[in-house]
Amino acid sequence: MKTVKLFRGGLMVFLLAIVLLYSGCNTKTIEDRYIYEVQTKEIYQSASQKQTLKTTTQFVSIAYSDLFNSSITNDKLNSLDIAYQSLGDKKIIEDMIIKTFLEQASSLVPSNTVMRNDIPTFVQNTYLRFYNRKPNEFEAWKVKDMIEKNADITPKMIYYTLMTSDEYRYY
Amino acid sequence: MKRKQFIKNAALTAAGSMVVPYILPSGRLFAASGTRRANHVVVCVFGGGVRNLESVGKAEGNLMRNMLNGTESISSDIAPGVTVLPTLAPTPLQNIGTLYKKFQYASGPTGHYNAHAALMTGVYSDQSIQLKQPPPFPTIFEYYRKHNSPTNNALNAWWVSNSLGPYPFLNYSMYDGYGATYGANMIQPYSFFTQYPSLANPVSFTSAEKAKCDMMRDFANGQFKIPTQAASSGMVNSPADAEKLQTFLNRIMNDIVTGAIPEDPWGVGSSMNGDMRNIYFGMEVLKEFKPELMVINMTDIDIGHFDYTKYVNAIGLADYALYKLWNTIQTDATLANDTVLIVVPEHGRNELPNTVVDAYGRKALDHNNDQMSREVFCLLAGKGIRQGNVINTVKGETIDIVPTVADILGFRTDISSALLSGQVLNDALI
Repeated sequence: MKTVKLFRGGLMVFLLAIVLLYSGCNTKTIEDRYIYEVQTKEIYQSASQKQTLKTTTQFVSIAYSDLFNSSITNDKLNSLDIAYQSLGDKKIIEDMIIKTFLEQASSLVPSNTVMRNDIPTFVQNTYLRFYNRKPNEFEAWKVKDMIEKNADITPKMIYYTLMTSDEYRYY
Repeated sequence: MKRKQFIKNAALTAAGSMVVPYILPSGRLFAASGTRRANHVVVCVFGGGVRNLESVGKAEGNLMRNMLNGTESISSDIAPGVTVLPTLAPTPLQNIGTLYKKFQYASGPTGHYNAHAALMTGVYSDQSIQLKQPPPFPTIFEYYRKHNSPTNNALNAWWVSNSLGPYPFLNYSMYDGYGATYGANMIQPYSFFTQYPSLANPVSFTSAEKAKCDMMRDFANGQFKIPTQAASSGMVNSPADAEKLQTFLNRIMNDIVTGAIPEDPWGVGSSMNGDMRNIYFGMEVLKEFKPELMVINMTDIDIGHFDYTKYVNAIGLADYALYKLWNTIQTDATLANDTVLIVVPEHGRNELPNTVVDAYGRKALDHNNDQMSREVFCLLAGKGIRQGNVINTVKGETIDIVPTVADILGFRTDISSALLSGQVLNDALI
């Protein structure tokens, strides 16, 4: 009995050591490359990692998949690409595209109630969804504070804001 | 102590003497140093490549009855293929302006984009220009916006293009010290507005909601530093101007959906072509924003590569559209009597035809750098322009358009002489 207990104890210690060793070896990998489970996106550790302007196609298709959780059709992408090329001020056309997407019934925008039931989770999920990173402590506090202090702020307004911000144009 | 005070006073005096002359009673900074001849200029690139033989030469009759004197009839063999729309002008524009009959696109490949770039930058390019990036030298828009008051915002400078491809890149250059900051608003109206189903029913926010969105966006933008090495995101309007522009675009889209802007707004039936639509929407921009500088082009004449009679027809339709543009200027309280219109093809077409024969037995025309493909006309009309003035000698080049526009709008002397080799078209100016 004693031998069995010792064996079991030793086995537990051995397994724990392996787990710790494994996680220790992979700490850096885990810190650098989180995987966002919903859409298998690479997660940034900070906004400063984003250095490249999205192309038209990237902007439109990413915005679509971020809002509808599905791929945009070629026809729709071509149409929006033509509109994008046809206007000099890209911020305006991006704004118009986002506004059109947001108004579509199938866009995945949570209700105001869901947002206000758990604001910290909403903020974290929203940053992960659009910025592919977690908000830092200040951002998490500030956005939560803005939502709490402004009863008229809706999830749609927050989605619109993040999708028309500078960071959303870069990867 | 005295020395310190002296240095302080000297520094303040020097700074003051540099800044004060540029702050005008109106509050404008960096005012153009010259006198304005007019407050608005519209340049119409009568494009697609037009030979002088068919335009001012009237080889097939007077195809441009709104611009040129004469009632010469259309050549009988091609007349059935040419739509003659009613002449709108009580008197042709040449009588109230200056007509250069032997203008030149003197150097560089006679390609549409090269020739557009030369016309809009004032610099010939003998090498092929990169098609997917802005031109290397500043455009007229950048000169205009940089060398005028900051109040002359992007809504005051417009490039209304009839085509996509490389043309949208002509609203600003890559030149150091100029670039997107001073770029023009660009629109290819037909492509943009035909996509309205994809842009229909945008979410609309109240002004209070917009203010909250702006507050949150300001916070988000404050947390992100735009990478300096990233590609330029292009020209942008100020938030207030962006709002005005978006309202305008939505209004036009709505008018198209409701039929307030019909398919054939001029009642010309199947003659309503791309050039006419471009001019139509350019007129809407003029009426809405009354810009100080607009460049607008037509390109349908380039059908000349494949069908000579349709090329002849397109010249007449372009003339009709051009007069509609002129009439819009003359009937707008702000623009009338304070605008100069400049009409010029970007280049001509070859003397010898290619082998493509049209339904009337006529051979088509390319443009491959021969002398005739370099010869064009140029017509100026409006405030401060000599009237009834025809210049029959070889005079003027397309690279003269930029210095001439700069002179009319009062900033010619603010542009480095090293940048522009063209001359002001003084023969046309009073």
